[in-house]
Amino acid sequence: MDKAPGSKKSLLKKLNKPLASVKIAVFVILSIAVVTAVGTIIEAKYDSYAAKKLVYDTWFMFSIFGLLVLNLVAVMVDRWPWKRRHAAFVLAHIGIIILLAGGVLTMKFGLDGSMRVGIGEDNSFVQSSETDLVVYTSFDGDRYSKTLEQEVDFFKNPPTEKQPFIIPAYNSEIKIVDYKKYVLPSRKVTAGEEGKTGAGLRFQIQNPNVNVIEWIVQKKPNTLATHNFGPAQIHLGSAPEKGRGANEIFITPQKDSSLQYVVFQKDHEKPVKKGVMKEGDSFDPGFKMAMQFRVLRYLPYATEDWDLQMAEKPTPLTTSAVKIIFEGKEHWVLLNDMVKLFQKNAVYLLTYGNRRIDLGFPIKLKNFEVTRYQGTMRAMAYESVVDIKDLGERKISMNEPLKYNGLTFYQASFQEEMGKPVASIFSVNHDPGRFWKYLGSLVMTLGIILLMWFKHLDFKLARNKTPKNGE
Amino acid sequence: MKNLLFVVAIVFGTLFQGVNVFAKPGDALKSLPVQDGGRVKPYDSFAREMLEIVYGKSTYEKRDATEIVMTWMLSPQAWQDKKIFEVRNHQLLQALNLPMDQRYFTGEQIFVNEHFNLLRQELQAKRESKEKLNPYFQALQRLENQFFVFQEVASGRMLKVVPPKEGNAWISVADLDSQYQEKFMGLTKSFIAYLGAMAKNEGVEETAQNLDKSVLDFKEAAKANNPSVYVPDAKINAEVLYNSFHPFRWAYIFYFTAMTLLLLVWTLNKEVLMKPMWLFLLAGFILHTFGFSLRVFIMERAPVSNMYETVIWVSWGVILFSAILQFINKFRLILVAGTMVSAFALVIADFAPAVLDPSLQPLEPVLRSNYWLTIHVMTITISYAAFFLAFGLGDIGLVYYLRGENENQEKIKAIVNGIYRAMQIGVAFLAPGIILGGIWADYSWGRFWGWDPKETWALIALLGYLAVLHARYAGMIKHFGMVVTAIVSFSLVIMAWYGVNFVLGAGLHSYGFGAGGLEYVSAFIAAHMLFVIYVAIVRSGRKKVAVRS
Repeated sequence: MDKAPGSKKSLLKKLNKPLASVKIAVFVILSIAVVTAVGTIIEAKYDSYAAKKLVYDTWFMFSIFGLLVLNLVAVMVDRWPWKRRHAAFVLAHIGIIILLAGGVLTMKFGLDGSMRVGIGEDNSFVQSSETDLVVYTSFDGDRYSKTLEQEVDFFKNPPTEKQPFIIPAYNSEIKIVDYKKYVLPSRKVTAGEEGKTGAGLRFQIQNPNVNVIEWIVQKKPNTLATHNFGPAQIHLGSAPEKGRGANEIFITPQKDSSLQYVVFQKDHEKPVKKGVMKEGDSFDPGFKMAMQFRVLRYLPYATEDWDLQMAEKPTPLTTSAVKIIFEGKEHWVLLNDMVKLFQKNAVYLLTYGNRRIDLGFPIKLKNFEVTRYQGTMRAMAYESVVDIKDLGERKISMNEPLKYNGLTFYQASFQEEMGKPVASIFSVNHDPGRFWKYLGSLVMTLGIILLMWFKHLDFKLARNKTPKNGE
Repeated sequence: MKNLLFVVAIVFGTLFQGVNVFAKPGDALKSLPVQDGGRVKPYDSFAREMLEIVYGKSTYEKRDATEIVMTWMLSPQAWQDKKIFEVRNHQLLQALNLPMDQRYFTGEQIFVNEHFNLLRQELQAKRESKEKLNPYFQALQRLENQFFVFQEVASGRMLKVVPPKEGNAWISVADLDSQYQEKFMGLTKSFIAYLGAMAKNEGVEETAQNLDKSVLDFKEAAKANNPSVYVPDAKINAEVLYNSFHPFRWAYIFYFTAMTLLLLVWTLNKEVLMKPMWLFLLAGFILHTFGFSLRVFIMERAPVSNMYETVIWVSWGVILFSAILQFINKFRLILVAGTMVSAFALVIADFAPAVLDPSLQPLEPVLRSNYWLTIHVMTITISYAAFFLAFGLGDIGLVYYLRGENENQEKIKAIVNGIYRAMQIGVAFLAPGIILGGIWADYSWGRFWGWDPKETWALIALLGYLAVLHARYAGMIKHFGMVVTAIVSFSLVIMAWYGVNFVLGAGLHSYGFGAGGLEYVSAFIAAHMLFVIYVAIVRSGRKKVAVRS
């Protein structure tokens, strides 16, 4: 506080008085309680993302906290000059302010993302919860350059038919006209334009135990597309001369819209079967398990799209999607997916997804281990062994995070397929507010303990001032 | 914490070494080590849990679970027409086309029913959609589990009795090699002989001793297969004792007695009864602590990982806080309130095993060997104990308001003082507890505060009590206001404690989720709210009369 003359100080105090009211404090405390309670209910009904967007990261939440800080400061100004008996409440209040300041620092400058690394693979990108829209443009269909990168928050500000999100394009515009929070996607393949898209094949593999029906679609004309079906691989595209030591079926589109098939087996270099087939035909590839391979549908030019089923609430299977209109055509793009848009002279590649932040160094997952409770599949503990270039091999487990380059890597969870772990998931975090949060906690706790110590001196004084009335 | 565990381990280790002093002939079977649910436990616990899953109780027609579950395996046909499967969900009963006025059904009624397979497919489809299961599907899931457990027990695949030479999956009765098969046959023969003797009530002693001998024989042989993983007798015996002794049941009986004595002291002014009251209270508290320590010894962790364990811990804290406040304030109603709410909580924990699961379960990975976890959960829940005490005092305060405000001014003042102190203690534990939770979250998830529903509701409860304390400071609420808010604010604690896990069922604290009891908890809260409103109306009516006259 400045050493102002007495009259000035009292004026400041007079102006300050209404702000320092305990009634405001009670109001603020109760408002935070009510608003966050609503937040938890939204989280239970939808998910934590919705609660964050609709309650915790909103202007009214920030205003309440702002009012809280104002009130806390005002009360401390009001009690100035402080006496010994004020120590407790001053400490508690300063602690809260420091704690909140730490929170602001984290929110403004912190990073809280996640990273999935497959076993034996490496990754240098952290995925955060912000969503970006990125457009790459190419005029020759070969070299692409980034023409747009923009953060979008469609959850809070969804585009509509009337107020679309517009991305300029050559002589035209890409319009985003709709956003769905929760959709259940399933793949849909339709006939595409001649020359621009690759071929599509819907096949069935069937025996008494297995019945698989799948689409394979080439990303570009004359490339190879693959469906991995455990014991065998099915490819759409041209076949090699020799086998590669695996059970493989190659289906190669011919000019007359018939299909040539070539079958390789694990222990034979030369193809074991060859032939020509059409839509509706089937043959036995001659693998150990007797089965029939049938072509259900063949499209010489096919595009992939999504069939979306709207959902009311999120489940682990739902995602969000945006609807795009370009040159009179509709496309749905799922979160973390991309779409190719064709124009006469240009191709646009549009991606919509979570921001990927490049750490600048790759993290290689050397090993991942799960220990389980004896005689069950219940995980007891798990740990990853990672390799970072300048650091060497390090272990990350549940309670032992790895600190490197200002970042902290925590073992968050893992992915399992058929009872075996396949990837480790880390949460990656940079928290510039950490020190302040701990300091604030310490100061506040000290204040509360002192409050117990000094009993209720302040309260006694207050009670003596107000006369008793019948209570 | 580690040191404490160590001390407990040594004390109990020596206590339960060798023969269990409480055991009677025929009880050796109870302490046969078996592997189940990720740990090695006595057969007694295994049998109780299996019967609990299928039948919903740990005894069947007054016969022990150990006997029932063994006969499931020895002669499953004998159980075909017995009503042992509990189904409570009405919607599910309707779907199965079963009478709604019954709760127990035979296996034939349910599983030979053509609807059952259709319902299972329905459940599978629901699971694949990964949506949250509603009570109907939860009941269906339970039914599927009941079916599975009974089948597996009957086939001998569930009961795993011999440690493996390699790996960690024990060998089940169905997979025993001939040498062990023979030994186990010996065990079952003497078991059947024992049952027969019990039924005829002759030669019980002899057959019981025979059974004990063949159990010991089998244990010896099983241990020889891999002695290093065979759990020491002390632990197994401690668990059998824990199962049969019910330390918490005795604790609440003693607390009730102490409360009754206190009420006698209060109403009849019999000061002499104070000494026996303290004796009963102390005995209850020692048993309470003993039971708690037994769980620590058996599971090697602080038992605050599910609702049941926190209820036990909170009721322990209530007694502790009320005794301390009684020493400071010399005001006996605090102890009345303390014994009342503590005994109440223990009774609930004892009578609602379907909601508050008392079985000893291994921990989820995040919760394992984590110092901060234990500290933050214990700190937060002990604050609930203080608020619970304030709640009990609030109830008593309301009664005094009903009996006449002016006549009981002194008592009301003392009660409000107690409420105020209890709230202060609660806040002094809850605020640091929440911060410790933040430290734990920062330590294991890298996030100090993430608006997780469990932590948010703990914060909301804290804010509620802070609002009350500030409102009192500002003179917004007086004595009656404190009594009312002691009761009303406790519903925030109930929400944070029970509601988040059992009603909201969201967030990262998913290892503590459960279902059931909602109607009772809601009724409990509603009844108290009505009581508060009733007293408020009566009081304002009286005031108006007073003003007019």
